[in-house]
Amino acid sequence: MYLRSNNGMGKRAPWAASVFALSALVCSLSVQAQALSKLLQLPEMPKLPHNLQIHGFASQSWLMSSGNNNFFGPSSSGSGSFDFRELGLNASMRPLSRLQFSAQMLSRTAGQGSPGNVRLDYGFMDYTYFSGETSQLGIRLGRMKNPLGFYNDTRDVPFTRPSILLPQSIYFDRTRKLAIAADGVHLYGEYRSDLGDISFQAGVVRPLVRGDETEAAVFGGQRPGHLAPEISYVGRVNYELDGGRVRLAISATQLNVDYAPNSDNLLQAGSLRFTPLVFSAQYNAERWSITSEYALRHLQLNNFGAIRDMDYYGESYYFQGAYRFTPAWEGFVRYDVLLTDKDDPYGKKWVAENPRARTGLADTRFAKDMTVGLRWNVTPEFMLRVEYHHVNGNGWLSTLDNPNLNNHSRDVSQRWDLFSILGSYRF
Amino acid sequence: MTIRKNIARYSLFVCLLFATSYAGIARAVEPYEIVTHPSVNEKTLSKSSLRAIFGMRLHAWPDGTAIRVFVMRDDAPLHASFSKEQLNVFPYQLRLAWDRLVFSGTGQAPDTVASPEEMLSKVASTPGAIGYLTKSKTDGRVNVPEIK
Repeated sequence: MYLRSNNGMGKRAPWAASVFALSALVCSLSVQAQALSKLLQLPEMPKLPHNLQIHGFASQSWLMSSGNNNFFGPSSSGSGSFDFRELGLNASMRPLSRLQFSAQMLSRTAGQGSPGNVRLDYGFMDYTYFSGETSQLGIRLGRMKNPLGFYNDTRDVPFTRPSILLPQSIYFDRTRKLAIAADGVHLYGEYRSDLGDISFQAGVVRPLVRGDETEAAVFGGQRPGHLAPEISYVGRVNYELDGGRVRLAISATQLNVDYAPNSDNLLQAGSLRFTPLVFSAQYNAERWSITSEYALRHLQLNNFGAIRDMDYYGESYYFQGAYRFTPAWEGFVRYDVLLTDKDDPYGKKWVAENPRARTGLADTRFAKDMTVGLRWNVTPEFMLRVEYHHVNGNGWLSTLDNPNLNNHSRDVSQRWDLFSILGSYRF
Repeated sequence: MTIRKNIARYSLFVCLLFATSYAGIARAVEPYEIVTHPSVNEKTLSKSSLRAIFGMRLHAWPDGTAIRVFVMRDDAPLHASFSKEQLNVFPYQLRLAWDRLVFSGTGQAPDTVASPEEMLSKVASTPGAIGYLTKSKTDGRVNVPEIK
């Protein structure tokens, strides 16, 4: 099923990865049953052959928002939204010290954009070509997570996120499929010294673009044709000083997607090129961490006919501070800004281009989100979180959850609040 | 103005309070050593190798044997002391680094043991194993490399 929902993986991408994923899943179910009966002894796992490791997570959130601004389901309704659920199960095996197989199945429910279908999140073979005391070089083949910023690689795992919702300016949930993973080949390497560790990942891939979510993000709604992935490039360089006290990263990606109009009598066979450049920095002390990321997002749309050719830069950034009161309690504050077009921060020029259709809609061109939140590690395996957002702008609201977002009958507010609670278990 | 000053004073007081309680948590542990399986030939290990090994980024000993890493639970005092003193990182950083490897498929997590006794028996019986153990619990079944 996941084969169909994700980009015809079965047709062109390495089939071996999906076969491995299936067998890992079947195998993992029996292992999981054993694990459940030994729940009290966790995290000690049953002895598994060939360094086989099974890990997973399950999380459930509740969201409540003001006005009529819906995020991840009917969050503005009286009872809020429970439509945010993440379930993942992965297996990895290292038959040789140089060779690893890994795969993860993921089910994600997040409003209308993610219906919760089970799909292959990643599945690949990793071969370390060279490994020494201070350096290594290797290759990965299959479906890998795109190295983008600090959080994209594990964006659906609540334990690895700084908050319930990642900063939406950079980690848009609206366009996640385009950015999350891709099929192809990656090279990676690392060099460690007293002056710090430098590592890189670089890949040639085909992005995952099928599905309503990507179409809604590109066209603001569904079209009769379909989007087709083209050869794309991903890359990231990381620098870590003193075991991660200071972490710096630069990520550069160029995603290419074509549109096949089929019976679409409005749009022609256009092409889309999305080129985000992300700078990331983090400082980690015992009690506190500060993190900031800045993204310059170059978007080009060409030859769609009815949609005018576009070429502009979006800008995103956030500042985030986290404080660990005790190892079990952590609080954070974040200010997050999204500008759809950095030369038109409040959407004025965009409205002026077509005042009849766009007057009153300028708030879809930006979003400024002030967030505070609290995390409680009840046990190492179970975590609770709460957070509160005050948002000015609707730049990252989805048209799937807010069908009237882009027309005059809309009832969303420019300034709105979002409250959320999350519980997450991992093993 | 006075109110602002008072708020500043109060916040400072709260911070100090947390700081002192935190220091209380990081209580001293008995002397400990890095221990390896007897088949591991390394007599000395550099700090950077140790960090790469426990960061799960170095997978084999120089002779090609696969490295098997054993750790205590994140909240074990010995784990906290070992992380800070030998690796110069905090337990939360190690956990995040392992999670990034495990949940992106680019690496694996170390094996967790529940007690010093289990640490000794696992390291002594698993070829390529490395872990850490209080000196009083160590015996001749494991090697003790020097850390430089």
